[in-house]
Amino acid sequence: MDMDTLLSYEWSIMAPEFTILLVATALSLIDLFVSKNVDRKLFGWFGIAGIAIALIFSFSQIGHEPAMILANTYRLDAFSLSFKILLLTGSLLVLLMGVSFEARGELTYRGEFYYLLLTGLLGAMMMASSADLITLFVGLELLTISSYILAGTRKKSRYSNEAAMKYVINGGISTAFTLFGMSYIYGLTGSTNLADISREISNITPANVQVLLSIAFILTFVGLAFKISTVPFQMWAPDVYQGAPTPVTAFLSVVSKTAGFIIIIRVLISIFPFTQGFEENTSLLHSLMIFLSVLAGMTMIVGNTIALKQRNIKRLFAYSSIAHAGYLLVPFVAFSELMFESMWFYLVAYLLMNIGAFAIIQVMTEHSDSEDVSIFAGLYYRRPWIAIMMTVFLLSLAGIPGTAGFIGKLNIFIGALFSDPSRYILAVVMIGTTVISYFYYFGIMAQMFMRPAGSAAQVRLPVGVTITMVFCAAGTITLGLFPGLVLEFFQTQFNFAEMFY
Amino acid sequence: MSSLPVNAYLLLALVLFCIGLFGALTKKNTVIVLISIELMLNAVNINLVAFSKYGINPGITGQIFSLFTITVAAAEAAVGLAILIALYRNRSTVQIDEMNTMKH
Repeated sequence: MDMDTLLSYEWSIMAPEFTILLVATALSLIDLFVSKNVDRKLFGWFGIAGIAIALIFSFSQIGHEPAMILANTYRLDAFSLSFKILLLTGSLLVLLMGVSFEARGELTYRGEFYYLLLTGLLGAMMMASSADLITLFVGLELLTISSYILAGTRKKSRYSNEAAMKYVINGGISTAFTLFGMSYIYGLTGSTNLADISREISNITPANVQVLLSIAFILTFVGLAFKISTVPFQMWAPDVYQGAPTPVTAFLSVVSKTAGFIIIIRVLISIFPFTQGFEENTSLLHSLMIFLSVLAGMTMIVGNTIALKQRNIKRLFAYSSIAHAGYLLVPFVAFSELMFESMWFYLVAYLLMNIGAFAIIQVMTEHSDSEDVSIFAGLYYRRPWIAIMMTVFLLSLAGIPGTAGFIGKLNIFIGALFSDPSRYILAVVMIGTTVISYFYYFGIMAQMFMRPAGSAAQVRLPVGVTITMVFCAAGTITLGLFPGLVLEFFQTQFNFAEMFY
Repeated sequence: MSSLPVNAYLLLALVLFCIGLFGALTKKNTVIVLISIELMLNAVNINLVAFSKYGINPGITGQIFSLFTITVAAAEAAVGLAILIALYRNRSTVQIDEMNTMKH
């Protein structure tokens, strides 16, 4: 490869990635050379500026023709762009939270926190636009390894150590599963390029290969289930969410989970719909949907029921995020035309309501030594606005009309009913578990509005958290009342047929 | 060399993967668990290299993929051991069944 070939690539389509890469590298170098007395919070604002620039680049790319560079391993299309915007927005809000994270000397390694968050984001963005198993895997690991360290940044805290250790072990096992599945996919097609794989894979018909392919599918999916914390790899979530610093928890529950869904959609949708299934005229994806629907149902049930008996607020939100991953699998199982739209919209709603809730949890846990649900007692009588915003997020998480969460759930529900064949059982499980979830969400609201104030400690609101909270609350209500704003933008700007080669 | 069918390599990889999985799920010492995870990842490498020589469409990609896997596995092991050392300093133990401070 000579200079001309290198220069002939359309590098500008990677502008958002390059921005994040530059900022992360610059921050890690500056952190190394600058004296210890310099306030590392400046780094946070630098990172925020970098993400904002990357967001502007991404928005300017809307409407760009699908393009591939780097020997067809990097792909810019509607799918990657729409999800990249989500990842960037999520990280921006998490960084805003992180800048004002002040928990009693727990975040001694502030510089590391900022640039590891950025490298994690870079990995997630590479996953969103990769068109090759190798880059997909490297992006996935960049995100995962950054998150391992992020979960353990409170080096002196035994909870944080333990969380990181459990995360590494679970993550390592799941990586091995994913890779083992991918190695079979490679073996049966002889290529790691997703476009080549989807072409090759439709040609192979022998029956014994189908068994191998189903094994590959199941192994890959089970491994990726770790990233989205669904059954069977959900056990790490409560411990890691509890032990990690709150901004990291928000990052894991939103950005990392979105990235997991991206890679699942990318790999499974570009490979398996074109494969001959066990019966005539069905695809392998259809034949294996029963497996996925069982996992989705179990995830919703496990997440929502175990959340009922949680007293620790971060553990409670961990189980709630497991439950939401279950809801998000439903459109994937239903596999209707509404799939992308409803998944994307639900991820937007989930991003807003979950980061908002975590911002408030961060403020509340900083000012009291415990993480028990009772720290919310009488919040309405101390700081009514925080209580009202928390109520908005909780109502949205529970899926009450007027909030973004409701519209998201409604889209998923309609998609499940009108798909072919209809997923009645899954829809019923979804409604049932949503009702169960009312108990624990409303439990927090009961604390805020009906209990006397436990402590008189003043809750101080740093500027970063305030911006995050207000933005998320405004977004949640706006999308709840006028979902058309975003849905219409989505339908006109993003053409998902582009993702098939 | 070509007398061995590809199935033999695949079987070896599968057995290695299962041994690794068994070790990762049952062993009490964290270092052994990390080694077991390495076994699982090496099973993947055997698969990739076998497929790149005897697969349906043989090619060099599998070997490149396995190089990436080795690199990433090394990074993962390094981070895992670093976290284990941090944990050991606080708790003076590497036994998995003693990492149980976070039960609801």
